[in-house]
Amino acid sequence: MTRVIEVPATFDDRSFEQFAGGFGSWPPEEKILIDARGAQWASPYGLLAMLTAGQALAEARRERPLFTVPSSDDVKRYWARAGFFKYAAELFELHGRVPRATASGPSDVLLDVTPVRATEDVHEVVEKISQGASRILHGELGLEMKATLRFSMALSEACQNIVEHAGTSGWVAVQAYTFRRRLGRRVVVIAVSDAGIGFRRSLESAHAKRFGERWGDGAALEAALIQGVSRFRDPGRGQGLAFIKRFLDQWKGKISIRSGTARLAIVPPWDEDVPLSEHLPFFPGAQVQIIIPAQDADTR
Amino acid sequence: MIYTIRIGHLLRETVASPYRNLVTRPTGAAIRNRIQEALAESDCLTALLDFSDIELLDFSCADEVVAKLLLADEERGGRFVVLRGLREDQHEAIEHVLNHHGLAVAAVAPGDEHAAPRLLGWATPDARAAFGCVCALGAVTAGELAAALGWVLARGEEALEALAVRRLVMADADRYRPLPIA
Repeated sequence: MTRVIEVPATFDDRSFEQFAGGFGSWPPEEKILIDARGAQWASPYGLLAMLTAGQALAEARRERPLFTVPSSDDVKRYWARAGFFKYAAELFELHGRVPRATASGPSDVLLDVTPVRATEDVHEVVEKISQGASRILHGELGLEMKATLRFSMALSEACQNIVEHAGTSGWVAVQAYTFRRRLGRRVVVIAVSDAGIGFRRSLESAHAKRFGERWGDGAALEAALIQGVSRFRDPGRGQGLAFIKRFLDQWKGKISIRSGTARLAIVPPWDEDVPLSEHLPFFPGAQVQIIIPAQDADTR
Repeated sequence: MIYTIRIGHLLRETVASPYRNLVTRPTGAAIRNRIQEALAESDCLTALLDFSDIELLDFSCADEVVAKLLLADEERGGRFVVLRGLREDQHEAIEHVLNHHGLAVAAVAPGDEHAAPRLLGWATPDARAAFGCVCALGAVTAGELAAALGWVLARGEEALEALAVRRLVMADADRYRPLPIA
């Protein structure tokens, strides 16, 4: 028997729950078919979610899942250009014609879908992003020049969380686009996702006792993002997320982290997201999204 | 004697690539080990860590390279550590991690070791004022510092002693001298 999981037509952090809910209990017993034929658009978060699902199924030694590619040629081309199919082909049995990824001139894709497996990959990511980040952050979003370096620092810290805590590899992608629905402005979005042990298991041995009955995915996210704790006893740890929060506060940005069955967000004034959601469908690992919006003319 | 360590050179040797970005904890730890090895073979009075070839410095690396070096050096004692060639965003990263650990370090502007050093990290307002005063006036006694800042003598003594213990000024009999960096 095959379980069909439909990719939302617009696949971003909001519609992610529909996708995650499709898997039922984890890991699913049935063969999985991810059906992207109706997909019209996917944020970096959505693209990484699909790869993470494929990776988690492979690591759970489940049968190789099937993947039907989007019907729309434009969507296929965009996903190909973002580097999605290159890695999807390793994880899924792809059905449907996949265009070759071609680059032509400046793109809104600041960083293709990139695997993060080891420290060297974080160096590569930071090197790659520094080439295009200034053009988008300063040129399009109106952030000060020094924001480019802070942005790269935030990206570095977010990627290191995979290497240090996930217990497996993950993915990162960075893209600029216009946030019509929620903000009506250009944004840069960093998505980082892994299929690892998640925040709760990572922090459990060092911090669960302190939380007692309250301990769970939501409490683990609060401990990491709000209290800046780490699984390491080293007092210098846990500063990466604290810095990202401070950086985002300055530029009215947003961070959300989903892990296991919970999701925690630091919500800026322009967004109406809920800070903490619990009892969500389980999804493996951790998914981080960072959004930096174009600045108001008066704050430039 | 001043021993200048170019962090950019160490980075290129350590990661065997042309990267100018000092990122990730393992890289930072490897760089710190190289610095400690170099210093172990030196009898220098001041270690001048030169960051001028470095593009990006993230928090993890700032913690591993600077904070942990100061923590280790604090136990060993004796040597002054000064940073050189930092850009504004790098100041910010180092300031953040040092505040977190309750540490402080002096930093000098690139190519101008005669300009007044800047104090990065955690220090009381009195210690900061005393540091600035020593840098501006040169060697002072606690009495001269107290007179210059309009403080009672005990306050001047306390501020200078706090700086000397953390090796941010050099104690020399009853005088306190700026860090030997030029």
